[in-house]
Amino acid sequence: MNPQKHILNPWVVVVLVVLLLATIVGSSLVGAVDINAEDLYKEFKLWVGQCFGKENIDTAELRTLWFFVQLRLPRILMCVLVGGVLSVCGAAYQSIFRNPLTDPYVLGVSSGASLGAAVAILLGWGAIQWGVSGLALATALLTVLLIYKIASIGNRMHTTTLLLTGVCFTLLISAIISFLMVMNHEKMDDIIFWTMGSFDPSRISWEDVEVMLPVAAVGIGVVLWYSRDLNLLLAGSEAAKSMGVEVEKVKRVLLLFTTLMVAFAVSSCGVIGFVGLIVPHAVRLVVGADNRKVVPYSMLCGALFVLVCDTLARTVLRPGELPVGSLTSMVGAPLFIYLLYKSKKKY
Amino acid sequence: MITLQHITVRFGDRRILDDISAEVAPARITAVMGPNGCGKTTLLRCIGGLLEPNEGQALIDGQPVLDYSARALAQKVAFVRQQTQTDFDFSAFETVLMGRNPYQKRLQNESQADWDIVEQCMRQTNTWHLRFSKPHQMSGGELQRVMIARALAQQTPVLLMDEPVSNLDIAHQLEIMRLLRNDNGKTILIVIHDLNLALQFCDDLMLFHSGKLLYQGPVAGGLTPQNIQTVYGVSAHLADGRIIYDY
Repeated sequence: MNPQKHILNPWVVVVLVVLLLATIVGSSLVGAVDINAEDLYKEFKLWVGQCFGKENIDTAELRTLWFFVQLRLPRILMCVLVGGVLSVCGAAYQSIFRNPLTDPYVLGVSSGASLGAAVAILLGWGAIQWGVSGLALATALLTVLLIYKIASIGNRMHTTTLLLTGVCFTLLISAIISFLMVMNHEKMDDIIFWTMGSFDPSRISWEDVEVMLPVAAVGIGVVLWYSRDLNLLLAGSEAAKSMGVEVEKVKRVLLLFTTLMVAFAVSSCGVIGFVGLIVPHAVRLVVGADNRKVVPYSMLCGALFVLVCDTLARTVLRPGELPVGSLTSMVGAPLFIYLLYKSKKKY
Repeated sequence: MITLQHITVRFGDRRILDDISAEVAPARITAVMGPNGCGKTTLLRCIGGLLEPNEGQALIDGQPVLDYSARALAQKVAFVRQQTQTDFDFSAFETVLMGRNPYQKRLQNESQADWDIVEQCMRQTNTWHLRFSKPHQMSGGELQRVMIARALAQQTPVLLMDEPVSNLDIAHQLEIMRLLRNDNGKTILIVIHDLNLALQFCDDLMLFHSGKLLYQGPVAGGLTPQNIQTVYGVSAHLADGRIIYDY
């Protein structure tokens, strides 16, 4: 037997990347308002001409281009980034906690962010840039820090305690949010809408993409860097240590970066459920448990999956929109159940 | 060379290990014996750098084990533990390949050498035919042999084994013990409950009794009816170099 030359199958990577790019292009042209590619191209030529100072044109003539660049593009890029981030973090958490049921929100990031967002909305910060998402980010990180402090004994952390503390805090905080909503009826819709998660242009702008891109790039890079250690962690902490993994350090670094990634994602887009749980599992059913495959494939598939769901969310009921979080579950659950059913037959 | 210096481990008020000092002879198989809960596993965990003793320390080649990096220690000591379960499906081959981790650089692919070593270790433990099997498709004994193969793939001078043969049928028990016997040069500490198996395959014995090291030396000298009575509360006698229990 000979070792594989490549851990990743280059053809699969190429196919996934092409598929993702094609979906980005396709998705960018449809929506509440369809964009005509021809118009876009014409306006783009006009704009290029203007840049070289050949002719002066009225910006009103560039309406399609403006709409495309300012509203459509950031939304699509954010879908790709958040889908990738949530799936990679889900894969990492499932390995760190050796628990197939963990998702990226299990440490209380989502509930922490929701609480911050609810408070910000009640304070009327909705109009301030970074008002809601900034406070959501802060409370998300604070919540995780608190849970982490409670669950670690000395400088070792006990993963089961960490999970249980996370679940308790999630329940506690959702109770607090319900209380806040009941006390402030008039803001209830806003808060519910925020927690449901969406990539609506009222929330996502280029600034969000500019923040998310470096966070995602660094964070996913770190997870990839430690992807073999994740495999060994699945064999158990002590086994991993006796096979040369600095277990405590690796866990801490990974939790730090994954938490940051999820916190940034949640604070700008709200809670988009199911992606981080099922994308890594679906990938595992196809390629096996090796995280050196699971992490990068999850990144690509997660990006694709969220983008497809968001495209559906804004086209199915247009000009209205469905909450993307409910679509990820409605599309994802049957797909996942099918994969499970198929893999069951193999044994 | 393994040196134990005044190792004391307490869990709450219980003294699991009480001031254990010893030198473990290199390149020999040492049986670690004693009744359940007498601190055998705890001792192995101290030597493997997985547990910090309350007092004292374990040294390998003159250096305290806790001063080694995880990677450096994993090139010196491999550990076969009692059964562990996971819900994630690595094939037996992938599992054994993990044993090569201490020699691999990050983001680097496994080399042909790694694969050859894995194949050799799997053939030695009679698991090569299981290489594509997932954990739930293997029996407890098969899984145990895969774990032994993984430890062998680490190619360490020291091998710590916590009840590696307790789950195996007699044929595989003998096969594994013979394999360890033939693997010259390794220093092996093995927790084992079968007195006759220890007598037949091990060189030395460390016999524990309520946290204390009762006997250390050649195995035949330690497994006397008197020691068996003291440690296990079982009366036995020797016949033809075998231990026969009286009941």
